[in-house]
Amino acid sequence: MIVIENLVKRYKDVTALQGLNLEVKPGQIYGFLGPNGAGKSTTILSTLGLIFPQQGRIQLFDLEVFRDGKYDEGKLVEAKRRIGYMPEHATLWDFLTPVQTLDIIADAFKIPKGEKEKRIRELIELVGLEDAKDRKVGKFSKGMRQRLLLAQALINDPDLLILDEPMNGLDPMGIAEFKDIIREQKKAGKTVFFSSHILAHVEEVCDTVGVIVKGRLVLEGSLEKIKEEFLKKAGYVIIIETNKPVDLSNAPWNVSPLGENKYRITASSDVREDVHDFITSKGAKILSMQVKEPSLEEIFLKVVE
Amino acid sequence: MWWGFELEFKSTLRTKKLWVILGIMTLLYIPSFYIAKSNGVKVESLNDAMSVLVGNVNSSASFFIAILAILMGATAINSEIEKGTLRVAMSKPIRRISYILGKFTAHAAILLLALLIATIISVAGVVSLGAPLGAELFKEATLLNMLLLLAMIQLVALGYILSTLIKSSSTALGAALAIFFVIFLIVPSIVQFVAMAPYITSDGEIDLQKAQERADEYTKKYLFFVPTSQIDIIVRDARNIELSSGELKMNYLGIVHGIRENLPSFLSLVFMTIAYLAITFYRFLRMDLR
Repeated sequence: MIVIENLVKRYKDVTALQGLNLEVKPGQIYGFLGPNGAGKSTTILSTLGLIFPQQGRIQLFDLEVFRDGKYDEGKLVEAKRRIGYMPEHATLWDFLTPVQTLDIIADAFKIPKGEKEKRIRELIELVGLEDAKDRKVGKFSKGMRQRLLLAQALINDPDLLILDEPMNGLDPMGIAEFKDIIREQKKAGKTVFFSSHILAHVEEVCDTVGVIVKGRLVLEGSLEKIKEEFLKKAGYVIIIETNKPVDLSNAPWNVSPLGENKYRITASSDVREDVHDFITSKGAKILSMQVKEPSLEEIFLKVVE
Repeated sequence: MWWGFELEFKSTLRTKKLWVILGIMTLLYIPSFYIAKSNGVKVESLNDAMSVLVGNVNSSASFFIAILAILMGATAINSEIEKGTLRVAMSKPIRRISYILGKFTAHAAILLLALLIATIISVAGVVSLGAPLGAELFKEATLLNMLLLLAMIQLVALGYILSTLIKSSSTALGAALAIFFVIFLIVPSIVQFVAMAPYITSDGEIDLQKAQERADEYTKKYLFFVPTSQIDIIVRDARNIELSSGELKMNYLGIVHGIRENLPSFLSLVFMTIAYLAITFYRFLRMDLR
């Protein structure tokens, strides 16, 4: 869907992308993470031909739209027919209503009239703007604008949805609805590429994550794979609860008590079976045992460090 | 192209600066005809009517519509980047060139509308002063509007250049105003004064014909980048007002005559417009929209 190779973008005094490599496969919900100024928006804007990188290669679908400082505008326009984009910090035309906004956006895709009207009705309902559909966008709250921005991104029923910090400004209900919409997109076989700094959102919705730091992708993979890798490097943390106190002073792992009959074991690999055998050998029973999974936030902080 | 045109046309029609400037222009011009009528001024022949009409439309365009043109251009692109609407628009399957052409054409259409408003006010004004209506009057008004539109397009294009160079729309607006007042109002006055100075005698007398000839020569030579000055020369020759035994005599010769007599001025208008447009499009096609 998106292939980015060795992309370099320099602004006057800052190198925003330093040879970025990234691949988003069809059907993925790809979460693009990074601290402020890491190059997330620059990557997205380059993908859409809105800014001019100095070198590298960008492929959208099977179309090579950018190579070594030049966009192929014909191919870019062709690719954009299948892309929906929701920008960060954007407003739409204040003097238009949501229906008029979607109507004019639909015209850019040359959607036939009957189909266009049906699609606009569906989208207004999907993003929950039925009550405000005839109000001018200029009078909208930030959350309502975000909803409309999402609707305009979906107008062409895109195969690839690119979202830049899409949940900024949404209330909790809006965020929940938004996540549902993304899940629906996945069910429909669409690809979603979205940047965010709210890690909990990414963790809940995405199946693949990429972390960009100082213009380079420093981590990429499925969430499970990333967590597994992290556990291998940082160590497994196992929490156990036993039926009675156990002397674990001679255990071959790092053990610290957590409370009554509760212990935290840190090991370099998954030692659950060994722990079970050790506790049994001490004449006690394990009531519960779990591996404490690292949160995406922990991984992110570690990677960014 | 139509997509960009439609969006920009609707959007510009809703901007306050358009209606404020047109409103002030209308408020100033309608009373001026009323005062002229109250003082017994009469425009009796078609010739006089054309002369008054062309003079009026030119003076309103060279200030009010010119200021509108440069201000409109100066915020055309940067304000859209600030709001984010340009990123939304350009993420759609639209070529940059067709978008900017559509946007530019919309601005040209708005300026034509403003010129038509100025023309209608002036036609109504000269008719109220007793002028007869004739096909020639409309032909001359149309020719003048086309000529003025060319000058206004040049100013919009200059504004567009500012808009691609200055990121902040409010700074660009300030720069456009400064350019307008310094380069299009103050500098031409200085050039005219320098040109005419040798013909002003110590007792304040002036050899008007020679002074005017030299002023025209200087305007063509040094003010080729000021479209309103070039238009002034063409319009003056079209109206051909002469001072004869202390009285002003109007002998309207037509816009075509004015252009023919001042071909370098007309060509500089065309050339500068093309040059500004080329720079604008070149910048827009290569600029980062962030």
